[in-house]
Amino acid sequence: MDSARVMFLLMFIVFFPILMAPVIFYACRYSVRIRDSLAVVTSGITFLATLTLYPAVSGGEVYHYSLFEVLPNLAISMRIDILSFCLASLASLVWFLCAIYSVDYMAKEHACSRYYTVFIFTLGSCLGIFFAGDLFTLFVFFELMSLIAYLLVVHEETEEAMKAGYKYLVMTIIGGLALFFGIIIVFELGGTVSLAAGHIIGESSVLALLAFICFLIGFGMKAGMFPLHVWLPDAHPVAPSPASALLSGIMLKTGAYGLMRVIFHVFSPELIKGAGWDLILGILAVITIMLGSAVALTQEDIKRRLAYSSISQLGYVLLGLSILNSNAITGATFHIFSHAFMKSVLFLAAGSIIWKTGRRKIADLKGIGRQMPVTLGCFSLAAIAMIGIPPLNGFLSKWTLALGALDAGMPIYVLVLLISSLLNALYYLPIIIPGFFEAPPGEEQEEDDHHHEIKFDIQEATPKMLIPVIILALCTVFFGLTPNNIAYALSQLTSAFLLGGGTL
Amino acid sequence: MFAAAPEHLHSADQLYYSSLPLWATLIPLAAGIAIYFFKGSWENARKLAALATCLFSLGCVVWMLPLMFTGVVCFDLVNFMQLGLFFRLDLIGWVFAFLITVVWTLATIFSFAYMDLEHNRPRYYSVLIFTLGATLGVVLAGDFFTLFLFFELMTLSSFILVIHEQDGEAMKAGILYLYLGIAGGLCLLFGILMLFSATGSVDMIPALEQLGTMRTGIFVCFMIGFGIKAGLVPLHIWLPQAHPVAPSPASALLSGIMIKTGAYGILRVSLILFSTPDQPGAADAAYLFNTGGAVMWVGIVTMFLGALMALLQSNMKRILAYSSVSQIGYIAAGLGVAMMMGIEGGMGFAGAVYHIINHAFFKAGLFMMVGTIYIYTHELDMSRLGGMFRKMPLVGLTFLVAAFGIAGIPGFNGYPSKTLVHDAMLIAIKDYDLFHIALAEKIFVLTSALTICYFAKLFRGVFLGPVPEKLDRQYPLPLSVKFVLTGFALVIIAIGLFPNLILERLLVPASEMLRYEGYGMDHLYHFHFFEWHPLEAMLIVVVIAVLIYLPGAYRGWFNWKPPYWLSIHALIYQPVTHYLMKFASRTGVVLDSSVDEAYNRSGKIARNWAGYIANVDSGIDRFYSQSGKAARKLADRTSDMDSSIDSFYEKSGEVARGLADRSRDMDSKLDEFYERSAKKARELADRSSDLDSALDEAYRKTGAAAQKLARQTTDIDRALNIVYDQAGKKTREQVEKRLAAKDEKKSLFDRAKWTTKNLSFDTLLMVLVLGAVLFIVFYFSRYL
Repeated sequence: MDSARVMFLLMFIVFFPILMAPVIFYACRYSVRIRDSLAVVTSGITFLATLTLYPAVSGGEVYHYSLFEVLPNLAISMRIDILSFCLASLASLVWFLCAIYSVDYMAKEHACSRYYTVFIFTLGSCLGIFFAGDLFTLFVFFELMSLIAYLLVVHEETEEAMKAGYKYLVMTIIGGLALFFGIIIVFELGGTVSLAAGHIIGESSVLALLAFICFLIGFGMKAGMFPLHVWLPDAHPVAPSPASALLSGIMLKTGAYGLMRVIFHVFSPELIKGAGWDLILGILAVITIMLGSAVALTQEDIKRRLAYSSISQLGYVLLGLSILNSNAITGATFHIFSHAFMKSVLFLAAGSIIWKTGRRKIADLKGIGRQMPVTLGCFSLAAIAMIGIPPLNGFLSKWTLALGALDAGMPIYVLVLLISSLLNALYYLPIIIPGFFEAPPGEEQEEDDHHHEIKFDIQEATPKMLIPVIILALCTVFFGLTPNNIAYALSQLTSAFLLGGGTL
Repeated sequence: MFAAAPEHLHSADQLYYSSLPLWATLIPLAAGIAIYFFKGSWENARKLAALATCLFSLGCVVWMLPLMFTGVVCFDLVNFMQLGLFFRLDLIGWVFAFLITVVWTLATIFSFAYMDLEHNRPRYYSVLIFTLGATLGVVLAGDFFTLFLFFELMTLSSFILVIHEQDGEAMKAGILYLYLGIAGGLCLLFGILMLFSATGSVDMIPALEQLGTMRTGIFVCFMIGFGIKAGLVPLHIWLPQAHPVAPSPASALLSGIMIKTGAYGILRVSLILFSTPDQPGAADAAYLFNTGGAVMWVGIVTMFLGALMALLQSNMKRILAYSSVSQIGYIAAGLGVAMMMGIEGGMGFAGAVYHIINHAFFKAGLFMMVGTIYIYTHELDMSRLGGMFRKMPLVGLTFLVAAFGIAGIPGFNGYPSKTLVHDAMLIAIKDYDLFHIALAEKIFVLTSALTICYFAKLFRGVFLGPVPEKLDRQYPLPLSVKFVLTGFALVIIAIGLFPNLILERLLVPASEMLRYEGYGMDHLYHFHFFEWHPLEAMLIVVVIAVLIYLPGAYRGWFNWKPPYWLSIHALIYQPVTHYLMKFASRTGVVLDSSVDEAYNRSGKIARNWAGYIANVDSGIDRFYSQSGKAARKLADRTSDMDSSIDSFYEKSGEVARGLADRSRDMDSKLDEFYERSAKKARELADRSSDLDSALDEAYRKTGAAAQKLARQTTDIDRALNIVYDQAGKKTREQVEKRLAAKDEKKSLFDRAKWTTKNLSFDTLLMVLVLGAVLFIVFYFSRYL
């Protein structure tokens, strides 16, 4: 693919959704249907446009464009390589499916015009993060996405949502400032912040460590890393379900993506390992995993439980990044894919249940499988994948991560992964088992009768809500079952690419 | 990803590539899913499909038997997950596969009659067949990854069999089963990961030398993972809860078959993975001896505690479940002895596998017999049953056969396998002369006696004595039930009467495959079961049993209920899980909330700081406002000055105004003078205007005369006009008449309608043509 076309596509992918956002906002004056379909079509076109970039990067090529210089050596630039492509295609796919899901889900909600506008705008800014060519551009898009996503968090405008949104906003600003400080240090030390430069900081110093910690705070805040995770369990559950799915499934990953870029482009794996900074990340990741799993056990609200689960799952990715060898990076990247699929299914299915029945306490979800068997089936599939039962994709990412940990001679990390898996089982199965095998509240009196047949009173959500959930659930099976599937192959490519220092 | 296993066990063996193992597992998995979607009324089709699938798998397995004696069947499905599925069937695996399919077929037939009296049949058959595929997959697997995959599938699907009743007890037991199963699975996964990390493959090949320091860790992980499934003490707690609550055919499969997958895993790990391809080195032999001893002791403890607990139960199915725990102990003890003795352990291995076969038949049979009683009487408690021998003589008879089998009475199938395990222990005592092995042998004998005791208790309680009034009716058994129960009894008797058949045809070749040799094998080639030496041991067991049972039954020892605090559940599991969960969730929550609190507090502190700054700010503000006030005062003063100047100006203005007033007075006097002179002038003007109006009158009169004259002339004019009008009208009438005549003429000679438009156009044309002609004529006339 020639360079100009890649350039055009990159610009198109990032700015098309951003430009469509005001269009969608004005479209609602004419028709609700036009607004909804515009949102779906915009995200769909973005997804397809992202896919067309595959031939450009599949061989490990890197394209880098400088748009204009803000200051000397500080330019707004775009860049694409295999890792950007991975995350951008994933993000736009999940966004597309969530857009379809939103059409019916949001029909019951207020302020839909604002919702769709913000929804599409965040897509553009999120893709801008993945396609940023230097830390400054990345920072700009990162802040843009974080601040706009505030509107998704506070959508309900209840007191609880406003409180959670305030917390989110404060944390975002703290993270943004830390990030900005880090970028300034890198600029001071290396004279550039472009990702094309590669290993900007070559040796460890106090200032370099300070930069690393700043990045850790800035990106770790977004990724829900301990002790910066406090906003996450409040903010994710209060958002509307499709937005929660995106917040948990995709937007958290921007933090992990930023850390990857920092580790491999600003610093280098050798430097991080040599200076022992990987241990900082490793310890924080272990605490994050255990804490997320343990606290999830105690949650009563289904969406809060899922949010804590997200914290622990992002811990896996951070753990992979701290191990820094081939298998671990493959596992971490693949877990980004896996978790995006699994958590989107879980949030969307939970959203369907809440939308249909209004029940969100786990104790109230008994017998829900008799009413919504397909939805709960998809939920179970994703939850079993989370526990790590083969042949689902969660197993594959855990397997690869664990192999990475063992390659690095850290069996303790494997133990952490397995204990967390057991805890996953302990907090997901009490949703599924009573959901399928216990009678719904109010119908428990027939216990003695041996001949009663279980009555299915099927009332599923609408097809537009069901189909995205089914597609994502099938993805969890597909990306686990099939060999050499695109996600795993891309993860392996990414790992080879990053560890090879930017070449395959 | 993983290369096919190199041929390691028998270099001379042939490799047969065949997809039969794949189909044997895949078809039941697919059929299981399909059966669920059969319509509710397709009862017979469902049964038929289930039976056909069982028979298909059985056929696949039997088909592969001839290949087993010359080699192994392999199948490599690379295109599955990242790791690839690898099936590999050798003789040991075949024995398990055959056992699974045969017992499963019988249980399926038994289900037909049994499940007709139960609810939720579509789900039951669906899960039953699906679990067959998963269980077969475990023993057909060629590497640990494939094994793990099917092991997890089996755990999940059999969970649904356990909770089939869906009442409180079943749910509780099922959830315990599931959690322990998943925990076991994760342990297994940890072991497999460490194995893969150490050797680079997950094949089941001798790899002890490569494992290095991780070997104990790997071994413990595998033992826990498989031990939970097998029900080894202290990991057995789910078993006595889960097996009794399932429907009886499912209990039969759980107890008879599925716990054997755990035993199978232990067998694979302890005898194949933890062996060395060549002669074991000295250090390795010591290591193997120790681990083997540990496995044997786990088995001994399991068998003894299981038997003891079985003796103290009153629920029929619970006795059988504890009995399963106890019998798994025999198997583990046999495997442990085989491992201890290294290359000479052929006897222990053969005994363990033989016992696996036998236990599958008699335990599955026993569960179905008890199930038959339960489904007709709905009683599981022995104290409320009795006299069933008279009501169901066939069940009583087959039960007696199976009980003799499990008790190890010569002539029934438990006898040869127990004898082999016992003899292996005797050889070990002779070889090593260690106290702990001798003690183990004593416990073994005692446990065998206890086995007889609890079966005597069970048989007496259920089949003998008076029939309770409530149950005093006829029980016609369906043909399928009779067939299955008789089948089990016949197999038990056949193996018991011809014990050497299986030993020579299956177990000796299997032992040879594992390269056992030495005294144990020599012994095994020509083992005589019906000689005085093994019979003598059995006789001792029976005597001890009688010595225990008679006083025990008389004194009522067997009705003693051990207090709850003594149970393993209360001693180990409850505190461990309780404190672990408490610790995990509490520390998690405390940590989480304290971090949250820290943020909130830092926010508060920041707000306080902001408050101080705000105070300073407001101080500055106050300063500004005060200085503002001063300024305002100053401004006030200046404004006072300003107003005084103002009043000065005002006063001077007043003076000026006075001056102006005076001048205005003067002015008005002048005005008066002017007015008077103007009056005089107006009077003069009035007079002159009078004159003027007289003149005007004269003029008006002459005007009126002229107007009169003009009016008269217009009258004349009008009269003339009328005359002309009338004349014009007449001429117009004449012209119209003429035109009408002309029109009539035109319409006569031209049929086409001539509208006015056409007319004008034509006339225009004609005029133009005429003009053109005239022009031409005039133009050319000059030249003419």
